[in-house]
Amino acid sequence: MTNINGKAYAMNAITPMKPWKTPILRLIFFVFGAFKCLQADLKNLSFIHFARWVIIGRNQFPHLSSEQPAENLHYDYMIFFSNFNGTWNQYIDAFSAVLATGLNKIWQWSEKFPGSVPVTPFKDYIRLVQFDTDYYYNCYPKATTNDVKAALRVQDALNHFKETSQTLSPAEFEKAYQDFLIKVQPDLGSTGVAPVGT
Amino acid sequence: MANENGQVYGLTILSPIIEDQRLDIEHATQLRWYLERMPRDHHSPFAKVSSTYLARLVVLDDVVFVGKPACEEHLKSRYLIFETNFDGDLDTYLKRMAAEVPTFVHDVWQHCVGYPGVENVDAFVTYMKKCQIETTFFFADVNDHTVQQTLIALKTQSSLAHFVEKNQGQPPAELQKLFGAFLKRLDTEPPPLPGDRRGDKSPAEDPAHD
Repeated sequence: MTNINGKAYAMNAITPMKPWKTPILRLIFFVFGAFKCLQADLKNLSFIHFARWVIIGRNQFPHLSSEQPAENLHYDYMIFFSNFNGTWNQYIDAFSAVLATGLNKIWQWSEKFPGSVPVTPFKDYIRLVQFDTDYYYNCYPKATTNDVKAALRVQDALNHFKETSQTLSPAEFEKAYQDFLIKVQPDLGSTGVAPVGT
Repeated sequence: MANENGQVYGLTILSPIIEDQRLDIEHATQLRWYLERMPRDHHSPFAKVSSTYLARLVVLDDVVFVGKPACEEHLKSRYLIFETNFDGDLDTYLKRMAAEVPTFVHDVWQHCVGYPGVENVDAFVTYMKKCQIETTFFFADVNDHTVQQTLIALKTQSSLAHFVEKNQGQPPAELQKLFGAFLKRLDTEPPPLPGDRRGDKSPAEDPAHD
């Protein structure tokens, strides 16, 4: 399935918006971007490598040749792209349970959005507006977002340990090594092949 | 700028696909067949453009009708969406695509309106920027490391876990010696291959090195 590569799932969704609502949503996104604390729930979920929302005005679809017919649209469109770990159902469930308020602030401007709670009509809506990925590349297919964060912490700790342990006696090294292991042990582990998801 | 978050650039490109009624197999279908056959692991063209974290190519056939009272409307063109997340700046990335995977770029974008080819790199970069849509909001959970740094950290994590497991209970002097040798091996190993889906064992974990 081309929506999945290793432990990452590529989701695409497109929703129509009345053009007068678009500036309001742009302002909301500006506020989300300016105040990082508003992204805390999204960050704490810790299963999204990257996600983006792209608003395309009804007159902004690229027109590159006179032979290409110009679009004549009533709506602006918002496209959502996400790169997340886990299954589609886990992702939507988590969104609905943890980020309901934030999601509603973003999607309430889209036509016919039913709200992110209760989850059944929300999932029906996502199924309607989602479209499949034709090709998906992932530089770290065996790693989740948490694996990446843990690995970077291990690397930092190891770099520090390397610098500070070079001149130690064996007895001092053993003590420093134990302290180092206590520090990194929550982040140790191996990545591996993803389970089959849906 | 919303296209960027820390060191990560989120590029979104919509390239209109050529519509030619005279063809038996339309461009969008040819494109999909081609993409279906492309490798997605360390042999992927994006593994060669090694600053790429995650990238996707999607044929957008049409917009979605969500039901009444919304009005139903349709696109007049299909669009190839190129969504990519990479470290570094846009010009360098697009030039690397043209220089390092020109065949792939040509095989994909030859189906798109206005594509100038890759021989003239500046023309290709200009074309891609004409198709770029500004990202409105870009979220990157980790935004302060390059792809190479991240891959090396993942390898380090795995190798260290294996080393620790294997060398429990060693006398201090022996442990110090083994750890020094382990660090040297880590430093001299070739960097991990982007996109590699094969087993986890790295040379630093290989018993033959002990």
